Amino acid sequence: MTLAIETRALTKRYGRHTALDGMDLAVETGSVFGMIGPNGAGKTTAMRLLLDIIRPTSGDATVLGRSPISGGAALRREIGFLPGELLLEGRVTGRSLLKHYAEISGPVAPGRIDELAERLGLDLSRHVRKLSKGNKQKLGLVQAFMHEPKLLVLDEPTSGLDPLVQQEFLSMVREAQHNGQTVFLSSHVLSEIQNAADKVAVLRNGVIVKVGDVASLRASAVRRVFVDFADASAASIQSTLAALPNLDHLTVTDGAVVQVTGTVEGHIDALVKAIAPFHVVDLRVEEQDLESSVIDLYSKEANK
Amino acid sequence: MSQSPRTILPLTRRNLADSWRGLLGWTAGVTGAIFLYVPLYSSFSGENAGFDDIIASLPEGLASTLGFEDLSSGAGYVQATYLGLIGFVLFTIAATLWSSAAIAGDEESGSLELTLAHGVSRVQVMVERSLGVILRLVWLATVSALLILALNDSSGIELEPINVIGGCLTLLALGVLAASFGLAVGATTGRRAYASAAAAGISLLGYVLNSLGNQSADVEWLHTLSPYHWAFGNSPLSNGADAGALGLLFGISALALVIGGFVFTRRDVSA
Repeated sequence: MTLAIETRALTKRYGRHTALDGMDLAVETGSVFGMIGPNGAGKTTAMRLLLDIIRPTSGDATVLGRSPISGGAALRREIGFLPGELLLEGRVTGRSLLKHYAEISGPVAPGRIDELAERLGLDLSRHVRKLSKGNKQKLGLVQAFMHEPKLLVLDEPTSGLDPLVQQEFLSMVREAQHNGQTVFLSSHVLSEIQNAADKVAVLRNGVIVKVGDVASLRASAVRRVFVDFADASAASIQSTLAALPNLDHLTVTDGAVVQVTGTVEGHIDALVKAIAPFHVVDLRVEEQDLESSVIDLYSKEANK
Repeated sequence: MSQSPRTILPLTRRNLADSWRGLLGWTAGVTGAIFLYVPLYSSFSGENAGFDDIIASLPEGLASTLGFEDLSSGAGYVQATYLGLIGFVLFTIAATLWSSAAIAGDEESGSLELTLAHGVSRVQVMVERSLGVILRLVWLATVSALLILALNDSSGIELEPINVIGGCLTLLALGVLAASFGLAVGATTGRRAYASAAAAGISLLGYVLNSLGNQSADVEWLHTLSPYHWAFGNSPLSNGADAGALGLLFGISALALVIGGFVFTRRDVSA
């Protein structure tokens, strides 16, 4: 197993503010690795450190077997980077700008730019500053993918893209993986990572809270449950459910129909069996998105 | 992995390609200033033009502040109107705008981050962007020299061609000095406002020290601190460019760029 990215206690402080606090990360070559977390969690800081745009306060990183600092320009030629805040200006056409970026990155196969632009539905003849946010994002994706780099570092890659283009992006990520490229991407919304990533790290306040594959994170996800009962007393339901270990935030509202809400961590099996003897009018289970559920989990652990 | 065919100076070419419209405007400005001032000399020159009387009628100090003591010779006239005044102002403004935009402006707009994420080193960015600014100043200096030479006979300024080139080279050196300060401070701080202040500041300081030094013998020593005086103190249009002054101006510029580049390679780039 080789690692495309490895960080050891990677830390970045700005004065008293710690943007990234001792991050240990291992991204396998050929994998699609996602990083989720709210804004300000340190995702962008981590990516900038990998690209040597900023320098770590302490700790170190290895990217494609080299240090970002000593690897320099030669290393970055093998990386495709999409910044989180893509600001493209200038009275130049998209094609002209991409030609420029092609000159300062790895070799771009002939026709590759047009192929990517066509897939994403991007008009290369328009001036960059007149492009909408979504079209600028497409241009950013093209410049990241065009030289088929060994490693793609994509900060919030699907922001501003409509759902159809997001699907196209996902297929580009899968193709890249198929070609043996490694993809490291971040998002503050889970849905895009859920479909793309093999493995996910959850980042919060500069710390990795959890790393796992999507399925195992999903298994430990927190679900909101709503159950309505008839012909039962609130007290008996309360006493039955309060005994369940993985049920939290329990509320019981008395009435003709007793309404119960709560959150279940992990499987709902125990809950279903516990309510079976009662007359259940309605049962709804809603999955929270992975990010908030994992963060719920984390803050609960932190409070213990 | 095969090495990609590298092209020559990609960042400088991008820089020039992005700015040719602006450069066209600056070229028009320089051309306009020279066509406005230089031909006027013929109507002032001659025994009875009364030019010296006009100078004598100016309030004391004003003429020396503006460098108008020697308007009756062709060299003195072009020095006082274009090289030492309008041209100097145009070069200073151009150097300020271009040098502050080259790195600091790009960093503030967020585009520098994406450039640095590609296969370029910080040193390469510093060198190529600086070169882009300096080449544009060279262009303006070349245009200045060619236009003054073109008007040399018809306007009656009758300068030695080699001195016209020397004079414009000296003006270029002042422009490059301002640009280097702007580039160096921009590369060090990443702040466009600081870069602009440094570029405009070094030009203004030189000009003010020179003007103060002109006022009396007591403060004439201020000339030794003034890049403007180093450049123009020996009247390059009549005596030729001062090689020592050029060496000093270009040397300080190079030093500023090296220091700026040194800090630039060691700091965080913000978006």
